[in-house]
Amino acid sequence: MSDLSASTVSADTRGRALGRFLSRYGILISFLILFVILSFAHPNFLSTGNITNVLRQVSINGILAIGMTFVILTGGIDLSVGSTLAVAGVVAGSLVTGGEPFNPAVAFLAAIVVGGLVGTVNGTLVARFGVPAFVATLGMLSMARGATLLYSDGRPIPNLSPAFRWLGQGFVAGVPVPVIIFLAVFVVAWIVLRFTVYGRWVYAVGGNVKSARTAGIPTRSVIFSVYLLMGALAGLAGAILTARTTSALPQAGLGYELDAIAAVVIGGTSLTGGLGSVGYTLIGALIIGIISNGLDLMGVSSYYQQVIKGAIIVVAVLVDRSRHMNP
Amino acid sequence: MARSTLTRRTLAALAGAGLAALAVGAAHADAAKPRIAAVVQSLDTEFNVLWANAANSHPLVKDGTVTLTVLDGRMDALTQSNQFDTAISEKYDAIIFVPVDINAGNDPVERAKAAGVPVIGSNTLISNTDLYNAYISSNDVEAGKILAKSVFDKMGGKGNVVIVEGMIGQSAQVQRLEGIEATLKDYPDIKVLEQKTANWSRAEALSLVENWLTAHPDQIQGIIGENDEMAIGALEAVKAHGLDPKKIPVAGVDGVTDALLAVQRGEMMSTLQDADAQAQGAIDLALGVVRGADYKPQAKVWDVNGGQLGWDGGKQKQYSVPWVPVTGDNVEALLAMRKTQ
Repeated sequence: MSDLSASTVSADTRGRALGRFLSRYGILISFLILFVILSFAHPNFLSTGNITNVLRQVSINGILAIGMTFVILTGGIDLSVGSTLAVAGVVAGSLVTGGEPFNPAVAFLAAIVVGGLVGTVNGTLVARFGVPAFVATLGMLSMARGATLLYSDGRPIPNLSPAFRWLGQGFVAGVPVPVIIFLAVFVVAWIVLRFTVYGRWVYAVGGNVKSARTAGIPTRSVIFSVYLLMGALAGLAGAILTARTTSALPQAGLGYELDAIAAVVIGGTSLTGGLGSVGYTLIGALIIGIISNGLDLMGVSSYYQQVIKGAIIVVAVLVDRSRHMNP
Repeated sequence: MARSTLTRRTLAALAGAGLAALAVGAAHADAAKPRIAAVVQSLDTEFNVLWANAANSHPLVKDGTVTLTVLDGRMDALTQSNQFDTAISEKYDAIIFVPVDINAGNDPVERAKAAGVPVIGSNTLISNTDLYNAYISSNDVEAGKILAKSVFDKMGGKGNVVIVEGMIGQSAQVQRLEGIEATLKDYPDIKVLEQKTANWSRAEALSLVENWLTAHPDQIQGIIGENDEMAIGALEAVKAHGLDPKKIPVAGVDGVTDALLAVQRGEMMSTLQDADAQAQGAIDLALGVVRGADYKPQAKVWDVNGGQLGWDGGKQKQYSVPWVPVTGDNVEALLAMRKTQ
């Protein structure tokens, strides 16, 4: 009798340990499994060229997803990133078209500033006036897209200077420039969230705003700052996309907010805030990237890709819920 | 109390009568000045913008003889359907339609017809073109054939091609593919290696073709884009792979500015779709219905104005605007023209 109960207890502990292990490393394990399957499924998946490809394809969504992680960690959301990317892209494009004398770095900075301005409006609405983030950024999604179309007259801005295009198409030591920018953004974001006071504030605000305020954290400024950061990163992504597609496209970035949110959610960051990390967001973005790359390599219809991506998001949230219920 | 109610009622009645008089007056004024609604696919793709700009610079629209309202369909069949209802209830004299969807476009046209509003089709088609008073477009099956032939010939009539498709179900995708497939029958040594949609988008085509070039290294000898945007995306993928675009023929359709520039550099092939002719021709056809047989058309494309397309009193049902292959010889002139559009 006592033997039986002892073994039940140990089975239960083992089950819990397994659960904890899975919720902690589930995403990483899924990614590795997916990676191994795709390596066997197509001979060229693991080629240097393809890995370079995937990383370059992931970099734009990856940059957006890193910003989105900050926003979601505070319990917010930003639906305007696709439009922000587009408006920043056309502004940058207009500065380097037709042999204009602007330095590409100036155009790049301008894109970040434009994105930051959009983020400032979002941040002010949410942090200062208490507009729900969903509503404020939904409005901005439409406004920034409209501004893009007004600014570009609804037409692509062609003839961008080669120096500017290098930022999207060039390589440094065999690594594509967008990938380098993406990894730099990732490393800085990771350090900030993990090792700085500001990083702890972001988690604290998302965990519980009231107790964060009681603890003396400037909650409004923290909330404002994540939208500003998101906007600036969307601007950066817009500049890279523009350099990559060789023209500033007014319809760029349609639906990109969903992929960015998906990467964050697949990475296990809780939509209610306070829990998650950019490391797992990186893996979330990579999962989305290798699925679409792998299925293209194998010649699978893009309709399946959408189904599979959606299913992965739902499973990721299920894992996330089980983590909350079983801490 | 009773008195004030009475006064209020009288006032309301007076106001109602006034409004009715205004409405009648407005309707009367409209009879003299034709009002045309143009329901277009969207105003955020270059071809549609060129189309709308051309429509707005029709001589009679410019000088105010005709009022033109361009409605942005936002690439959504339901939005377009709602815009039709608005145009019908606002009693426009004619509607020009650039439908998003080949089948979903039938129903709104039928409603306009039932309400006695003439509808002229332009650019893309609906499946039941009998519902139109007339339509003016470039034959997309023809475009598919020109497109495929240009790539196949440059490949020397043999090898592997990939096809980047437009948004599935739109008439341009359906018909351009039909033209490509018809041409494939004449080239038995050409094999289609991959075929998938990139939804008319440059960024999507870029990733897709990069992935294809990885999946089939050194096996892709030609790339067909069902529009220029996607062909340009494919071209960028070719370059990003370190391949020489002059050795892998890439072709698209539409003649958007970036494509003209790429043709100029000798990196791709394109066929121009004449937005001016399709837009201004449609307005002429609409005015032909509204004003009757003695209306004199204004667009340059008509033979009566020195163009290539027979006007024939505006009596035909279908007008087919010829495609203009973009070549090294005409690309400078086309680019110069684009600056004025």
